[in-house]
Amino acid sequence: MYLYLHYEEPVCADLQDERYAQGRGFIAKAVNGCHTASLTTPEDKEQAQQIHHEDLLNLILGVLRSWNDPLVHLASEVQRIKEAPETILWKAVEIEEQNKRLLEGMEKIVGRVHSGEVGNDIYTPWEGLPSLQLADEDSRLFAFYNLLHCLRRDSHKIDNYLKVLKCRLIHDNNC
Amino acid sequence: EKQNNSSSYFRSQSYPGKPQIIRCRSLEKETFSCWWKPGSDGGLPSNYTLFYSKDSEEKIYECPDYLTSGPNSCYFDKNHTNPWTTYIITVMATNEIGSNSSDPQHVDVTSIVQPDAPVNLSLETNTSANVSYLWAKWSPPPLADASSNSHVYHYELRLKPEEKEEWETVSVGMQTHYEVTSLQAGAKYIVQVRCMLDLGEWSEWSLERRIQIPKEQLPPAKPTIVKCRSPEKETFTCWWKPASDGGLSTNHTLLYSKEGEEKVYECPDYKTAGPNSCYFDKKHTSFWTIYNITVRATNEMGSNVSDPHYVDVTYIVQPDPPVNITLELKKIWMEWEVRMLQSFTISVGQQTQCKMFSLNPGKRYIVQIHCKPDHHGLWSEWSPEMYIEVPTDFRVKDMVVWIIVGVLSSLICLIMSWIMILKGYRMMAFILPPVPGPKIKGIDTHLLETGKSEELLSALGCHGFPPTSDCEELLIEYLEVEDSEDQQLMPSHDTPSKNTRIILKETDNDSGRGSCDSPSLLPVKCRESRSLPSPLQTQDVKAKEKKGRKGSWETQCTASEQKTLPCNNESTKSCTWLAVQLPSNQPAMFAYHSTVDAFKITLNTTNMNSSPVLVGNEENHQSLYPIAETVYDDIEKKSEMANSKTDQITMQVRQNQHNDKSPFLNPKLMDYVEVHKVRQDEEPTLLLKQKESSRKSKKCTVPGTSKEYTKVSTVVDHHILVLLPDQRTQHPPVSQEPVAETSQNPQQSQTEKNTSYSMTTPSDSRRDTSGSDYMDPSSFMPSFK
Repeated sequence: MYLYLHYEEPVCADLQDERYAQGRGFIAKAVNGCHTASLTTPEDKEQAQQIHHEDLLNLILGVLRSWNDPLVHLASEVQRIKEAPETILWKAVEIEEQNKRLLEGMEKIVGRVHSGEVGNDIYTPWEGLPSLQLADEDSRLFAFYNLLHCLRRDSHKIDNYLKVLKCRLIHDNNC
Repeated sequence: EKQNNSSSYFRSQSYPGKPQIIRCRSLEKETFSCWWKPGSDGGLPSNYTLFYSKDSEEKIYECPDYLTSGPNSCYFDKNHTNPWTTYIITVMATNEIGSNSSDPQHVDVTSIVQPDAPVNLSLETNTSANVSYLWAKWSPPPLADASSNSHVYHYELRLKPEEKEEWETVSVGMQTHYEVTSLQAGAKYIVQVRCMLDLGEWSEWSLERRIQIPKEQLPPAKPTIVKCRSPEKETFTCWWKPASDGGLSTNHTLLYSKEGEEKVYECPDYKTAGPNSCYFDKKHTSFWTIYNITVRATNEMGSNVSDPHYVDVTYIVQPDPPVNITLELKKIWMEWEVRMLQSFTISVGQQTQCKMFSLNPGKRYIVQIHCKPDHHGLWSEWSPEMYIEVPTDFRVKDMVVWIIVGVLSSLICLIMSWIMILKGYRMMAFILPPVPGPKIKGIDTHLLETGKSEELLSALGCHGFPPTSDCEELLIEYLEVEDSEDQQLMPSHDTPSKNTRIILKETDNDSGRGSCDSPSLLPVKCRESRSLPSPLQTQDVKAKEKKGRKGSWETQCTASEQKTLPCNNESTKSCTWLAVQLPSNQPAMFAYHSTVDAFKITLNTTNMNSSPVLVGNEENHQSLYPIAETVYDDIEKKSEMANSKTDQITMQVRQNQHNDKSPFLNPKLMDYVEVHKVRQDEEPTLLLKQKESSRKSKKCTVPGTSKEYTKVSTVVDHHILVLLPDQRTQHPPVSQEPVAETSQNPQQSQTEKNTSYSMTTPSDSRRDTSGSDYMDPSSFMPSFK
């Protein structure tokens, strides 16, 4: 499962850099906040280590769920970008699928760990679909860039959280 | 000339040489001077006098002033200078002997005016508003006569930076100062002036004066942020590169703000990471936030800010290169093993050691390692180069080893080939069991001798021996008939000279000959350790039975078809044993001993309903050739067979006993054996020529019909030869003609259509025990053609 995230991250990086790199000045503006920003996530390893693993799992779940919807739309909308190379298209689809699988896996795990409420409340809706469909090419591209940037960051976060969990639960904090 | 004898030296004295006026010059058009150069002095002191005249007058004047302008000069002061006349000047040199005059020089004052260079050149610089000025000042050339009118000179100034070649010349006018503005800040300039009167020439350039222009002072240029790195994902550092400082000391400050915040912070630590760097410790490091970082450079003249640099710590993780690399070379056979990475990147994964193989000896390898925290991080710098040299010394050993190996293997090859050659025959037989020839018991040697093949055949009662198996399964033994004179196959055999032993010979091989069609015989398959099944169970002539492959093989009796193909199930009536050429050089291969009893039974029993079948058994490994054993049916059988119109010859071939093997193993010459024809209706008997045995009475009695010769090696004991039926008969006799000289045999056999089959029946005693005789069926084949 960790592998999925390992996979996502460079893919996102590719997607970003390939097309929307700093040349367009996006990065300067790309701090527009991700839709998952409202989820309070630990900002570094120490904070992550201090969170109880159930909460951490729920958090991870929340993030994953929050991304489910955007990814679906990303995969479909990215096809409408002109000059989008093939790789982006299938990569986007791949990411979406992986996210689903990851989400399912995580839900199972959480279900086992946390038999009972699955904590459906941690979830951030995404309302960025219109921005992906803007008429103005530049704005649309910027919206993509932003989304990918957030995706990259969030997948990196999840990757790290999972690593923390793995270290904690399996290696008993000896890694 | 008067000779002066007063001096001790004889000196020639003469009048002085001709002086020469070098130059006349006027400084200010009011006075002028002339200078001359004396000629040779003629050995005596000379006096110089300058005379001049004005062109409009005749009068000659003398120089008024010889002193002012220096030696050999004449100075004409104001009173004597008339700028509008042309002077004609001559200088005369006089000594005791005589005098000499220079050429007259026409001098026009106005044309010889050249002032002295200006003097007292002084320079100053001034910088205001970052612009530097150069201020030059000088004085006009001094005049001898201070009271003379101040003349108006024109001045020219030239300057250049020290390093440059070309002067910049400026016409100054009549002032004695000048200001230069377009100056290179920080350069050192050289300045000169010269002057000129309104007519005449420019003076020489004045002495050089130098001055240093101060450097420009500017605000600093824009610094750039070089990179930011986090070595361990908990802290990070940023480095910048300052640009030109504008000549003044410059300060740098780093400012940053975080994503989503407005507040701007300053770098917490400028020192830890070295100059031009900023270190963010754990407290100040946040992940998953973008930092906006800028550097500002400030000096007295102003400040300048770099472009913003956006950084997310998570993506700038680059570890330090690995340390403590150890390289070890381990010799593994002929390869070397180097631990650690090679410089052409091999991914080591997460191990901390790595083995490299297949390094070229003699080469020097450079090894470097770098690492990466995870797939989103950055590769660290390469570790310092480490060198390792793969020695070549082992090559020597390498060579030695190979030489030894080569020698050994060639030795082995030699030995093997020698063995092959020597025992090739046997080995071939081992590998490719010979086609067993039929062994026919009870063949009347006489019959064979007489060479009546039909009779023999009939005696043998072989008709249309059914082919029972396909090629592969058919074993044909050769009955090799051998002249006992030459050797005794079996010690116990005391066969008369013409005792023929039939030695079964194996086909020499399959090569090509294995096919049924081949003239050579069916390949004989050696069956190891075959038990001898009842070979006799073939029911009917045609039926080929293979008693298991185990050692029974059946030869096919084919009828007149030329090929008796055991392969063909449509074996025809005649029994033919395919002869296999026995290479002469092949040792006689002896059959193995099969269960004699069984054979015996088969031999003796006429109850065999089965068609004669050659059964060959191979009992032991030694036995290389199966023995074809045919069982003779009794006469009834024969008659049955006869019905089939084939001569059936059942041959029984006895396998040699094991213990007899050895003698048999000797390669033997194949001799000829007479084969009597077996007549169809005769009871075929194979008669061993030499042997007169009761065997004769065996089923197979070869009627002593005409005797035809086939080459058969001696048949030993009770081996029965199945001989090729006489061609003259309608059925091509099946005969096996062991051939001594194989090459000729076929021909012979062919030519001799009437081959008589002689079968030597082995003696009783040996019957059971004799080894197999082989008949070389090789000669048979041709006869079938």
